[in-house]
Amino acid sequence: MADATLDATVGHVDPDDTSSLQTIELTVNGQTHTLTLEPNVVLLDALRERLNLTGAKKGCDHGQCGACTVVIDGRAMNSCLLLAALAEGQDITTIEGLADEDGTLHPIQQAFLEHDAYQCGYCTAGQMMMATSILNDKDIAKDPASIKEAMSGNICRCGAYKNILDAVQSAHRTIEGA
Amino acid sequence: MSETLNTQKPRIDGALKLSGGADYTADINLDGQLYGYPVGSAIASGELEGLELEEALGMPGVVDIFHHDNFDRTLKHSPNSFAEKNTVSEPRLPFEDTTIHYHGQYIALVVADTFEHARAAAQKVKGKYRANDQVISQFDELDADNVAGLPGVLQEGDGQSRGEADTAFDAAEVTLDHHYSIATETHAAMELHASTATWSGDHLTVYESTQGVVFQRHALSHVFSMPPEQINVISHFIGSGFGGKLFMWPHAIMTAVASRRLKRPVKTVVPRQSVFTSAGSRPRSIQRVRLGARADGTLTSIRHDGSNETAFVGMHNDTVISATPSMYACENVSVTNRVGEVNHGMPCPMRAPGEAPGLFALETAMDELAWQLEMDPVELRKKNFAERDPASDLPWSSNHLIECWDNAAKRFGWENRTAEIGAMREGDEIIGYGMASQSWEAMRLQCSARVTFLSDGRLQVSCGTQDIGTGTYTIVAQTASELSGVPIEDIDVRLGDSSLPSGPLSGGSFATATVLPAVKAALDAATQALIDKVTQDGQAFSDVDSGSIELSDRALTYGDRSIPVTTLLEELGIGQVTAEASAEPGDEQSEYSFRSFGAVFVEVRWDPGISRLKVERIVSTIDIGRAINPMTARNQVEGGLVMGLGMALFEQTEYDKSGYLYNANLADYIVPVHADIPPIDVELLDYPDYHLNAFGARGVGEIGLTGIAAAISNAVYHATGKRIRDLPISIERLLMAN
Repeated sequence: MADATLDATVGHVDPDDTSSLQTIELTVNGQTHTLTLEPNVVLLDALRERLNLTGAKKGCDHGQCGACTVVIDGRAMNSCLLLAALAEGQDITTIEGLADEDGTLHPIQQAFLEHDAYQCGYCTAGQMMMATSILNDKDIAKDPASIKEAMSGNICRCGAYKNILDAVQSAHRTIEGA
Repeated sequence: MSETLNTQKPRIDGALKLSGGADYTADINLDGQLYGYPVGSAIASGELEGLELEEALGMPGVVDIFHHDNFDRTLKHSPNSFAEKNTVSEPRLPFEDTTIHYHGQYIALVVADTFEHARAAAQKVKGKYRANDQVISQFDELDADNVAGLPGVLQEGDGQSRGEADTAFDAAEVTLDHHYSIATETHAAMELHASTATWSGDHLTVYESTQGVVFQRHALSHVFSMPPEQINVISHFIGSGFGGKLFMWPHAIMTAVASRRLKRPVKTVVPRQSVFTSAGSRPRSIQRVRLGARADGTLTSIRHDGSNETAFVGMHNDTVISATPSMYACENVSVTNRVGEVNHGMPCPMRAPGEAPGLFALETAMDELAWQLEMDPVELRKKNFAERDPASDLPWSSNHLIECWDNAAKRFGWENRTAEIGAMREGDEIIGYGMASQSWEAMRLQCSARVTFLSDGRLQVSCGTQDIGTGTYTIVAQTASELSGVPIEDIDVRLGDSSLPSGPLSGGSFATATVLPAVKAALDAATQALIDKVTQDGQAFSDVDSGSIELSDRALTYGDRSIPVTTLLEELGIGQVTAEASAEPGDEQSEYSFRSFGAVFVEVRWDPGISRLKVERIVSTIDIGRAINPMTARNQVEGGLVMGLGMALFEQTEYDKSGYLYNANLADYIVPVHADIPPIDVELLDYPDYHLNAFGARGVGEIGLTGIAAAISNAVYHATGKRIRDLPISIERLLMAN
């Protein structure tokens, strides 16, 4: 996968039509990107098509499946339901920014690996981003029923739910024990 | 016991999938690419009289719009042959004629410089239609003259009848005769279908989310009248398919045509609504099951007649009766299947096609028979256990169904069941227990693979099959590691590319049994190629009979002499030794019957006060031969059980009377989510089936989805006394039932 460029006014915008273009700055995984785009570009498409950060997936484009989940200012959001411009000035974390810079996996990634908490892998980034948000949320209990309820916006059609639950609980234990 | 086979290994592609680095089709962005966005028909039946395109063509960034009037007339139909590996999902070419056969049928493809521009313009393309007064449906016309009383046209070749089922039914001491149905279901794989096409001279590269790169290459070869060598189909990672991505859909042809015309890469990600309307479904089916038995439970007659919908644009026989002739020992069996055309989108195989709907009907009927006979449902099944395959009269290659029943019953606590409706209670909840048998045919096909010893010590294994999430990358690496001694982290597995040696579809649960023997054959061939080199004059083993040299622990060995492959390559002064080989099934196919079996037990809870039905727990024991990787294999079975829970309780693709598909999204088409999932306890028996292949593996993708819907419906009956023979068992249906 290509590295995201810092200045990503890539050639997908018609240079002859600049009438509605706006320039915004998005801070993704600690890096600030300057983007020139139309106001109706949603965050998911900006990440995927303009910044080449394709870890967040499009499963429905309607906020119904959770595959596009990213963490914004500590809170899990469906990036398909947010205009890119509205995320300006906020701290966006995608799956590409979850591991340490030295490549050490985040506890949730390590737990997903060990528990085989995926099959096709397409919903996985969304599941993990949601899970990290839940594990950081003091208002959500960490018993199985509470985790399942909180995770129910993230569909896994492969049906790896049992292993995802095991992984989230395992990551919780790891984080609590650290 | 080997070190790497039949061992739980984390997926070798795990790090990529967990970091966002796995390149699914829509993740691939090519320089200068354009974006395609399809426009679907607003009606389901009629004629497209024209398109209003002017406004869309004038919108920002729009490059072109493809439709009936300007589409490429040189395209040809794929022969649509499974044997020739060019099957397509929808034989009709996109925009081929102006007849509308189903809601959502593509009427245009807008191509623009950005996704947003393409989408905006697509919304401005309007079709002018002459709609038929009513949707055409052979399926809704019940044919009073045919014996089964089912709609549709009788299909040839389904009849695996034996004995005299009707006569035996008439003479039976106990009989049962019921109709069952399942709603249309949609695969709803999380990854949207997607295709990116790019031409370089007369060479076409297609990035596609597909379960069959080889099939799509061959199909495109016919459609574009090009040699297959000039076409490459790439699918490194697939956001699963469940059958919906086995064979090419029209969006891929539209996209390749647009790319050729515009001389730019074109990427089309099919919107979710179009995936529902225009990219496959498990068709609605109606089944009639008649069972005759003696008072002691011995089955004397099984008659199973099915009928499923298909579309006007193609034939799909869902063969819901496929497992029935093999399930139980019974001298008189008759099965038929019919197919009726409807103005709906094209159906196609969906995970456990045939068996999942068919075993819902048969295994529910068996439960009903058990109640009639006042017999334990497990005992009724044991009474009719088939010692050999009664359909083919061949011995089973390996069959441990009785142990599956006993093992699952014990772990479930079946002995606590009271044989009385609604008698088991806890608080406000009524408890129901239900069980069913599970089954899927085990198949193996021809396959080629390539193995390369690399001078840096790695071993590369290549095969033109795919990993749709089942774990194929990992089990290929485990197998190559086991056979060569090369550590699993040094095995480089290449899949999902039609330029690789021809591999199978990722479907039918046959990939494992098909691919692994080819990997072994290719490794043996590469080893032999290396031996041929090192036994030449002046080389390390020149004094040795080549037939006595073995590959062991990543070295060639003869007696006490053992030289690492890397050393040999260095001494030879070459960077690699490579070989390709094929493997195919043999005489065993006519000597044995290959089928996996399992048993599933379910507890449901019905709270009549708040009308809540939930599955409380699921226990399943499965005999799939040997699991190469029990961790990924168990995950497959659990996933099948989850999808079966959806089939039983939620899933229903809904059309109104005009053929409009009105729940074409993931909020209104309900699939199981985290909160629906009960504790699931799966045990895989370990009886390697060496008749099928040297690895003893029979495959695992489908079987989890069979039987589970019947087990749930049987448990619902035990709790409520209501026999729901139509899926899904929605709360409305349960409340309205008598």
